[in-house]
Amino acid sequence: MSGIAKREEGTREEGIVMPHKGGRAGLMIFAVLAVAAIIVVAAIATGMLSFGGEKGTVTLSGAGATFPMPLILKWADEYYNETDERVQVNYGGGGSGAGITQIKDKHVDFAGSDAPLSATESSTFGLVHIPETLGAVVVAYNEPSIADLKLDGPTIARIFMKNITVWNDPAIGALNPGVTLPTDSITTVVRSDSSGTTFVFSGYLAKVSTEFDTLYGQGKSVIWPDAIGASGNPGVTQTVKTTAHSIGYIELAYAIENDVPFAQVKNHDGNFVVASLESTSAAAAGVTLPAGDGDWSQVNILDSPGANAYPIASFTYILIYKELYNEESEMNKTAAEELVSFLWWAVHDGQEYADELHYAPLPASVVEINEATLESITYEGATVR
Amino acid sequence: MNNFKRRKLVNMLASGVALTCVVLAVVPLIYILIEVVRIGAPAIDWEFLTSRTKGTGEPGEGIGNAILGTLLLVGYASAIGLPIGIFTGIYVSEFGNNRFGETVRFFNDILANFPSIVIGLLAYALVVDYMDVGFSLIAGAFALAIIMIPIVANTTEEALRMVPNSLREGALALGVPRRRAVMRIMLVNAKAGVVTGSLLAVARIAGETAPLILTAFYSNYWSASPFEPIASLPQTIFRNYNSPSEVLLQQAWGAALVLITIVLAINISVRLLMRSRTKKSKAVKKTWLTRLSLRA
Repeated sequence: MSGIAKREEGTREEGIVMPHKGGRAGLMIFAVLAVAAIIVVAAIATGMLSFGGEKGTVTLSGAGATFPMPLILKWADEYYNETDERVQVNYGGGGSGAGITQIKDKHVDFAGSDAPLSATESSTFGLVHIPETLGAVVVAYNEPSIADLKLDGPTIARIFMKNITVWNDPAIGALNPGVTLPTDSITTVVRSDSSGTTFVFSGYLAKVSTEFDTLYGQGKSVIWPDAIGASGNPGVTQTVKTTAHSIGYIELAYAIENDVPFAQVKNHDGNFVVASLESTSAAAAGVTLPAGDGDWSQVNILDSPGANAYPIASFTYILIYKELYNEESEMNKTAAEELVSFLWWAVHDGQEYADELHYAPLPASVVEINEATLESITYEGATVR
Repeated sequence: MNNFKRRKLVNMLASGVALTCVVLAVVPLIYILIEVVRIGAPAIDWEFLTSRTKGTGEPGEGIGNAILGTLLLVGYASAIGLPIGIFTGIYVSEFGNNRFGETVRFFNDILANFPSIVIGLLAYALVVDYMDVGFSLIAGAFALAIIMIPIVANTTEEALRMVPNSLREGALALGVPRRRAVMRIMLVNAKAGVVTGSLLAVARIAGETAPLILTAFYSNYWSASPFEPIASLPQTIFRNYNSPSEVLLQQAWGAALVLITIVLAINISVRLLMRSRTKKSKAVKKTWLTRLSLRA
């Protein structure tokens, strides 16, 4: 159509500006640039004057596991007040793997990891483990007709391996006597991203089911058969909540905060245990732990003995260098002292905040090990604490 | 007659399909806006806008430092990216009729479609790691600037190409130096396109999350230093979403509303500014056009 062509020409001509008029308008583009430049200058000024230059402020950075993130952020905030707004702790999350990479590259002062390092890794890099809290993974479900689901390890493994596909399977029936189970088929919901939660959950299944161990094994990401994948704990929580007849695994805190029912799990002693802070702490009470700079790779509180121990529990660790001085990170002595003080505070006073955020406080035996570890941290060869 | 009826029917069908498509395209946009306002608005009050983030979901938490962080990141990134982008566009359009110009154009097109996470990774490897600046505002701004450059360069080039060739030739024929012809005639007539392109780029980077995770990191404190980690609105939304706290989830919607408002405000205000400028010069243009047509 000729109309279109005409209109196009029209707009083109409309845009033409006389040269002498244009000089002023041309300035506009540069005015925009100038404004941007002014913003930058102002920013640098504010940065130097009111914030960055504040005397005595120490910034510590950490990254890694998202599982303990709410607790670490709570600590950061409380400790900031505790130190009269002198020590700022940033925690970037990003997952256990990212945290380990970044502390190896020395871009962060501490890393969070749900999985312990291998013996060679921790000795090669000189990193120590500081278990800072405990967490539980629960089996959340959406089947309103079952008020109080009871499961055991092998059955959970068979559900997630798709050997059990309907709710009224005899194996589930045997664990829930007297409960009328629906005939619907079970939808499994799993993490689509690599995660510490999957690591803990698959570790438990591998421990209680040899079939799961040989077919899938423990890992941060597992190729689950025929399951709905969702990202992060919130993703799995929402998917379970909105998918009828589904079952999935999430951290305890997400189940409680979102009112999602979760199953009681049969523990090592044969009791059905509800995941709670007490039953999670109980899982850690009986284990023998290495020293902070020792080999933690075999530490495991899954399916641990104890009448009230919840079986799908795990430590989550903070990793720091045993010798805090190194040329790459340029960490100064003050920062090193503040890092150790912060962690000391976190494993003592900080534990009182665990409860409200649904983390299990550390048993006294673990706190003692952490004390020894923190006392052994050095800066240029001299102990910091 | 039958044929006419059939054609009318086909016409109506086609219009119907087109209209349905328009509705389908617009509905999600309106839905998003309504949802963001519906859920986000109750979270917004003065304290929310002026307090810092904490990540704990307790009362007294806000997004003030994230708003400041986003403004600073966009400001720094624009200061780096806009001049480079605009001058690249000028070069490719006005001086790029050769092998080198073609190559620049080619790589610009590739860069424009690069996943932003890869650009974040580049900024991480180069600025954070190799140059050893560490996680910082400036590393984040560098990544965002690289995302801006191809967008600004491409739109600047397009805008300059829209300017009639006769203007360029006319200026040069009058003995105007090439530099002045480009800066005072070509660029001026292309300014609407250039400004629009710059705005598009600003709006695009204001909402970027992935490259910032690897570069600007995050800080729950008031920080404006270029060499310290800094918060940003998109990252606040992501972090709050990942938290188990219901309060923080609602604050994520609040932060989304603020982010959308900031982007829209920049957009609309500059557009209004541009329009009033154009109106003023309309009278001049008309006489000039009449003169041109008279001469022809």
